[in-house]
Amino acid sequence: MSLKPTNILLKGMEKDNSASIDNYLADDGYQALTKALKEMKPAEVIAEVAKARIRGRGGAGFEAGRKWGFLPKGLDKPVYLACNADESEPGTFKDRHIMEYVPHRLIEGCLLTCYAIGSQTGYIYVRGEFPEAQAALWRAIEEAHEKGYMGEKILGTDFCCEIHVHTGAGAYVCGEETGMLSSIEGGRGHPRLKPPFPAVEGLFRCPTIVNNVETLSNVPFVIQEGADAFLALGTEDTPGPKLFCVSGHVEKPGCYEFEAGANLKGFLEHVGGVWKGKKLKAIIPGGASAHILKPDEIDVSMDFGSMAKAGSIMGSAGIVVLDEDTCIVELLRNVLEFFAHESCGQCTPCREGTGWAKKIVTRIEAGEGTMEDIDKLWEVADNFEGMGGKTICALADAAAWPTKSYIEKFRDEFEEHVRLGRCPLKG
Amino acid sequence: MPTLTIDGREVTVDPGTTVIQAAEELGIYVPRYCWHPGLSIAGNCRICQVEVVNPKLKFPCTIACNLMCGDGMVIETDSDEAKKARADVMEFLLINHPLDCPICDQAGECTLQEYSYEYGHDKSRFTDEKVHKSKRVQFSEKVTYDGERCILCTRCVRFCEEVVGNEELCLVERGDHQEIAVAAGGALTNPYSMNVIDLCPVGALTSSDFRFKSRVWFLSDTPSTCTSCARNCSIDVGTRWGKVMRLTPRENADINKWWMCDEGRLNYQYVNADDRLGHAYVKQNGKLVRSSVDDAVAKAHDLVNKFVGKQGAEGLYGLVSSNLTNEEIFLAKRYLKESMGTSGIGFLKNEGEGDDFLICADQNANSTGAGLIGVTAAEDLAAAIKEGRIKGLVVFGESFDDDANLMAALSELEFFVVMDYRLSETAKAADVVLPGVTFAEKEGSITNIDGWVSKLNPALDPPVEARRDLDLLLGLLAKAGEELPRTAEGVFRLLAEAVPAFADISYGEIFAASRQVATDAVVTSD
Repeated sequence: MSLKPTNILLKGMEKDNSASIDNYLADDGYQALTKALKEMKPAEVIAEVAKARIRGRGGAGFEAGRKWGFLPKGLDKPVYLACNADESEPGTFKDRHIMEYVPHRLIEGCLLTCYAIGSQTGYIYVRGEFPEAQAALWRAIEEAHEKGYMGEKILGTDFCCEIHVHTGAGAYVCGEETGMLSSIEGGRGHPRLKPPFPAVEGLFRCPTIVNNVETLSNVPFVIQEGADAFLALGTEDTPGPKLFCVSGHVEKPGCYEFEAGANLKGFLEHVGGVWKGKKLKAIIPGGASAHILKPDEIDVSMDFGSMAKAGSIMGSAGIVVLDEDTCIVELLRNVLEFFAHESCGQCTPCREGTGWAKKIVTRIEAGEGTMEDIDKLWEVADNFEGMGGKTICALADAAAWPTKSYIEKFRDEFEEHVRLGRCPLKG
Repeated sequence: MPTLTIDGREVTVDPGTTVIQAAEELGIYVPRYCWHPGLSIAGNCRICQVEVVNPKLKFPCTIACNLMCGDGMVIETDSDEAKKARADVMEFLLINHPLDCPICDQAGECTLQEYSYEYGHDKSRFTDEKVHKSKRVQFSEKVTYDGERCILCTRCVRFCEEVVGNEELCLVERGDHQEIAVAAGGALTNPYSMNVIDLCPVGALTSSDFRFKSRVWFLSDTPSTCTSCARNCSIDVGTRWGKVMRLTPRENADINKWWMCDEGRLNYQYVNADDRLGHAYVKQNGKLVRSSVDDAVAKAHDLVNKFVGKQGAEGLYGLVSSNLTNEEIFLAKRYLKESMGTSGIGFLKNEGEGDDFLICADQNANSTGAGLIGVTAAEDLAAAIKEGRIKGLVVFGESFDDDANLMAALSELEFFVVMDYRLSETAKAADVVLPGVTFAEKEGSITNIDGWVSKLNPALDPPVEARRDLDLLLGLLAKAGEELPRTAEGVFRLLAEAVPAFADISYGEIFAASRQVATDAVVTSD
């Protein structure tokens, strides 16, 4: 599918002081909220969002409207919204674009969602390393209060809602939905056993909806323009607009907005191709946890289903381009250092396995590995892959996928390191 | 009530039962580190993985501790998939685990060793440097921590949070650098801190008191009951070389569950102490001279009998420790009241600070038993002696070295007999000293604050010529012309006939488990 640009998620970003509420209002901002509060019941908002099939943009691709439907009815407990703005997947910087440049879109999305799910309190969990995003959101929250879009009896209706910014402190695992909830509660960011799922028992043991920044930022459009308008964009598998991040060895790194389903190969051309006239070696299409793609595998539509069929994942659409001078073993060492460092340490396979895998690949990279080490590394990764069975959360899976796919697709490079006793590319 | 199949066997369970619990109902043991029936579910060790044949999950195995039983579920705990899942977890646990077995106190009761043997690989393929962490960290003078051995199951953290109600222990660092630490600014001072030693599946948390004392497989373990307060927690007495090496809690769903307090746990040194009585003594010319026990018993009864014969029983008083067993208190009362005719019988109260968990303010083990049998707290003995109301004193199983008034009043007695396990200052003042024993050498029953009757079983033999208090009391009764059953069980039968509260329980029953008696008939005053 060819690239079809959209101007929905980052609309208004090009303006000076784009983050201000005045700019947002000039772009029909908060019309969706007004429409929902005045003309729709919460159940109707849920129905519209469900109809639009917004697939979770955090990376898992689970339909937001379907998730909202899991909330238990008639429970005498408050419902919470927790927006996942932890954005720690390496190669991903789309949510920060929304939060820093057009925070009101996220705020409006949060308010609409709170209205739909019956929540009066929302938390936006922003990673600690994003002070600008935190500041932009606080300013936006203040502005929203001033203009009457947040607080008591919003727009003269009975709907009351407060959105709070909660900052993280440097842990990737706090981007795992239940790790995030533990962190918001003031504890260590330890993911929790599921079941129970957050929709039933989340923040403070109350029903909680967790959604990604980009996911929620789609809600105003869906409500304002209708689910059909959303479904007309993107693909059958993944409707709607999508933000794609591209970084690495490319001419024009950045955050781009196209309809979901954009072709990866076409996208690479659009951003100027591999830099400095180099040849393409590989692409990591969905953040550091994604299975790597070789140059003959990148003619693929970037939606959830197609990427899965191609043996990788859409993930967070954090595309990293790697040129011919990249050492894949060094890359894996870099990736495993990340996951070993970020493992919360609760479950045995992830805690010990990621550390072990890191040590093995470090030795192979330094030319001190053996042929057995390559198979061992693959097996170790295979032994810690299996969220729900072997581990509590998917962090170990995220470490296993690159490990296994790099070995499977670039095995000769690993073997060269062993044979030569050094990196064949770096010497 | 879901019905599920585990290893080909069906079981119907209460709703809310997890697979690991259902397996236990069938007698199928699923290995576990982080799961403990007395704590919340953590689900982090992953060793309890079982294969879920039906329903089909995303992966063949999942943890049994958090899997709610469902109707029609089919579980295999020992299939190839389950075996592989467990073997992989064992491999991961052992890659950074230090080779400390030769110097680790946990050896012999370590589930890492046991599961490695049962479920693990017999070879290691780890060729990298292990993670190094803190070793020999004193969490307190009682508890030592080793970070390298720790498998981060968090049982200890959850115990402090959930059972004790504080957060003295916490996790620090992240990933494979995590360790347990005492929470910032705090200390491990809660009175139940040593339970984490039992909870710890490995040698990460060990008893400083027991450190390097003995290999556990050389210990004999005798199930018995703690006598440090009126709670009577069930315990195991670990002995070797004729000494008590350690006390550990024994599971009792009715009294102490899996726990005991630190004070009770450490209160055994007196059993091994040098001041144990191994012989009887009789005062001759103002000095205590060794005597045979039979002669001393005869002499003791002689003193009592002659006194009663001359002056009547009114001036005779029997101080009967409420740390004695039900059988012993019964016999003491039988001797003093029925045989010798005195109503002057009482025990010394020993009150401390209790809490709302296990520790009782009553620091005597068997006040309830005493009360049911009809022995109450003693009056002011020093005053009674000084005022001439008590002229002859018999003390069974008690000492009062710290009571200066009472010690001073002893010289005004016409005769004074002591039966105790140690040569206290009290005993030294006596005319006859009969060598009794501690709880560790006794057989009998005691009754706790809620009426639970538990058994004491002898873990050691009485030292040298000492005898169980029961035997010494039977000796006195024999001298008084009463031939009674010679065993604790026999005496218990008499006790049950005489004291209605004990009528419905049998001695044999209380070997296996405590039985509860009504406590409304406890006499608190004459």
